[in-house]
Amino acid sequence: MQGKSKNDLIIRVGGEGGEGVISVGDFITQACARAGLDVYTFKTFPAEIKGGYAMYQLRASTEAVYNQGDIFDVLCVFNGEAYEMNKARLKPGHALVYDCPGDFTPDIPEGVHAYPIPMTQTAKDLNNVRAKNMVAMGALSVLFNIPEASLREVLTAKFARKGDAVVQGNITAFERGLELARALKKTDPWAIGTPKKDPDRDVIVMSGNNAIGLGAMIAGLEFFSAYPITPATEVAIYVAKHLPKRGGTLIQAEDEIASISQVLGASYAGKKAMTSTSGPGLALMGEMIGMAFMSETPCVVVDVQRGGPSTGMPTKHEQSDLFLAVHGGHGDCGRIVLSVENVQDCVALTVTAFNLAEKYQCPVILLSDGSLAFSTQSSPYPDPASFTIVNRERWDGKGEYNRYKLTESGISPMVDPGTPGGMHIATGLEHSEKGTPSYAGENHEIMQAKRFNKLKTVVNDVPLTEVDGEGDADIGIITWGGTIGVVREAVQRLRAEGIKVKGFYPKLLHPLPVEQFEDFGKGCKRILLPEVNFLGQLAHFVRAETSLRPESYTICGGLPFTPEMIVKRVKEMLA
Amino acid sequence: MNAPINVQDRFHQVQLESKDYREDLSSFWCPGCGHSGVLTSFLRSLAEIGIKPENLMSISGIGCSSRLPYFVKSYKMHTLHGRAGPVATGAQLARPDLAVVVTGGDGDGFSIGGGHMPHMARKNVNMTYILMDNHVYGLTKGQTSPTSHRVMKGSVTPFGAVEEPLDPIMYMLTYGATFVGQAFAGNVKLASQLIKEGMEHKGFSFINLLSHCPTYNEIDTAKVFKAGCEILDAGHDVTDVNVAMQVVQKAKAEGRIPTGLLYKVERPTLDDRMAELVTRVNGHKDYDLRKVVDLSRP
Repeated sequence: MQGKSKNDLIIRVGGEGGEGVISVGDFITQACARAGLDVYTFKTFPAEIKGGYAMYQLRASTEAVYNQGDIFDVLCVFNGEAYEMNKARLKPGHALVYDCPGDFTPDIPEGVHAYPIPMTQTAKDLNNVRAKNMVAMGALSVLFNIPEASLREVLTAKFARKGDAVVQGNITAFERGLELARALKKTDPWAIGTPKKDPDRDVIVMSGNNAIGLGAMIAGLEFFSAYPITPATEVAIYVAKHLPKRGGTLIQAEDEIASISQVLGASYAGKKAMTSTSGPGLALMGEMIGMAFMSETPCVVVDVQRGGPSTGMPTKHEQSDLFLAVHGGHGDCGRIVLSVENVQDCVALTVTAFNLAEKYQCPVILLSDGSLAFSTQSSPYPDPASFTIVNRERWDGKGEYNRYKLTESGISPMVDPGTPGGMHIATGLEHSEKGTPSYAGENHEIMQAKRFNKLKTVVNDVPLTEVDGEGDADIGIITWGGTIGVVREAVQRLRAEGIKVKGFYPKLLHPLPVEQFEDFGKGCKRILLPEVNFLGQLAHFVRAETSLRPESYTICGGLPFTPEMIVKRVKEMLA
Repeated sequence: MNAPINVQDRFHQVQLESKDYREDLSSFWCPGCGHSGVLTSFLRSLAEIGIKPENLMSISGIGCSSRLPYFVKSYKMHTLHGRAGPVATGAQLARPDLAVVVTGGDGDGFSIGGGHMPHMARKNVNMTYILMDNHVYGLTKGQTSPTSHRVMKGSVTPFGAVEEPLDPIMYMLTYGATFVGQAFAGNVKLASQLIKEGMEHKGFSFINLLSHCPTYNEIDTAKVFKAGCEILDAGHDVTDVNVAMQVVQKAKAEGRIPTGLLYKVERPTLDDRMAELVTRVNGHKDYDLRKVVDLSRP
């Protein structure tokens, strides 16, 4: 692809679910990260529990990678179905690795470099049919310079607990794959570059959902209530495994309403508490999020967005819950909404979400999405000790305690149950400083102002916007969530072609950092706002709250944008 | 999460009278409301238990009865319609060393909140749920509730209700509550005794207090409840769920209401099992998180 170097490699592996497609992808990803490469993966799972088409795409480079890329350079297919699914995307110059003899005979398109590998046959000859994927992995390693030593290490470590025989069986199949590929003549230009040696490089490789779980624990999570929902469940799975080590509690509730209710109860009782869900669950939680705002109870709600509305497309990518996150629920109801770009953000902004919830005593909604949920990425090692952790302001025990005391900042100290002298009621009714129900008009105006005014300083609290580029631009691109990574690369490519572009990447979406938007807009002749939803949800808020008039670019086909789509649109705007 | 202090260790720490637990806020219930009897009974049981007010969390949902926490000196939450149970579950798991009592009505608990009821029971959340059952929606001015009699006329059922009522006692016995009792709210002696025993019970205790609504329920008056209520035989076996169910069904068929302690067994509580998990992995709050991060190194 234009602008992408030949050693920034995108490999797609496709096959039947259960054939080891996902493990091959994971092994290569781990091995590349171990060898010092930057990695970014993208997966689709079959809707079925067993069988169905499974796909794993991984991008590895000596340079930083921000997204899954435009299209694969190398396609490796285990069966005919996977070939059929992808053959329309095969273009001259691509490499194809396929099972031969297999259940299909591909008609190789003109200009495609084809490498037949007897994956199934070799595995059968070795009396180890399950190792078909290891044969393929060996071939890929030789053909595209995937670090062999690292692959061996990862493979050995992964199978170690199954015993030496299993390790050896897989190594043998892998080595057969190496030999088979060495016997072929390489005709394509694709090869992963050799990573620069960087002694300070220290990375982890994890998925977005796991990273959110890790971030929560770094923030001091003590209570998690979960209800299973695609594509958010893995957050709870990760936390369930590790939180007991910290003495914390995770329970599975009977529904999402119960989850958020339990979170509020635990938070009132003094604990850092959260839940994670997807759009349908967030919709159910709306009333209790209102209570969190009204009763000024800290809570963190993670929404891993999926295709909507209604049941929608549960396994597909979309960024269409922004309206719900910002305005879901009845009455004038404040909250803080953050969104994450990548795995690194999933750790760091989850910590931020807790810090803000604790400081401002309000609900904080963190938006992730279905691609990031399962995308594994290499990201800098997050040393837990390096994060600033904020805890709620607690009553000093002096004088009379008023839970909703009017203060300059609007923030009133909290008190943990069990503390003598601090008894009070947390209520969803409008209330006085003491918490006593009050329907007096004047009081409601004062208390609404208190709850909203405290949120005014959120925008200055932590830097949550980023400007990509300097000076004036013909086109300024504003975007959010996972689309930021796509725009970063598009901006680089456009700039390399001499086009004047700038990017603006807000991660605080509510309250909207209006000044920062305005400042960005000043230097841009026109503004493009790509986002993966039908209505142009962020564009709507930008038009409503700022003087900017972004031109919306929306898609909702269940997949993220590619850098090439953004590049093309910008060029069309300038044509 | 906390140093394991049994909530029962918090009992008998003070000697206070009922009135010392009464918040200085006048009741908003109608004159003659059965809920006043519930409040009196609750305050009396607190005095008998001798808990410090700050060691009690009193949690409710929405409805006439859900205003009760306002009148009780304690930490308290007045939450959303139907959600007192899960909020209380979260609070209890967060602070298993504090006493948690939920108070709420039949509509709050068994209509809008009905989805939560089985789970508090089966999970054996260590808290007390006092249902203030007046067979009617009062705060919205007289509609039938899930426990209303079939013929009852409500504002939305001017020709009489067409549905059969559910039985909170049978429901709780079915879903595994480990303590189930029932009393007439006007019988403060029995009601306060049950609340006290319920709070002393380690596990989920459910107490149905039949509480007459003088304003919107002309069928289930104080007189009717009083006449129908019958104290259980002294020899009633509280450990056998089948016996409890038979007693309830037989009484219902004969137009009587069995009152007293119907069922009581011991079973590990949810917070006990959560604490076991932490013990199994030798968990503690200073566990070095770097060990968790290290698992994600490539």
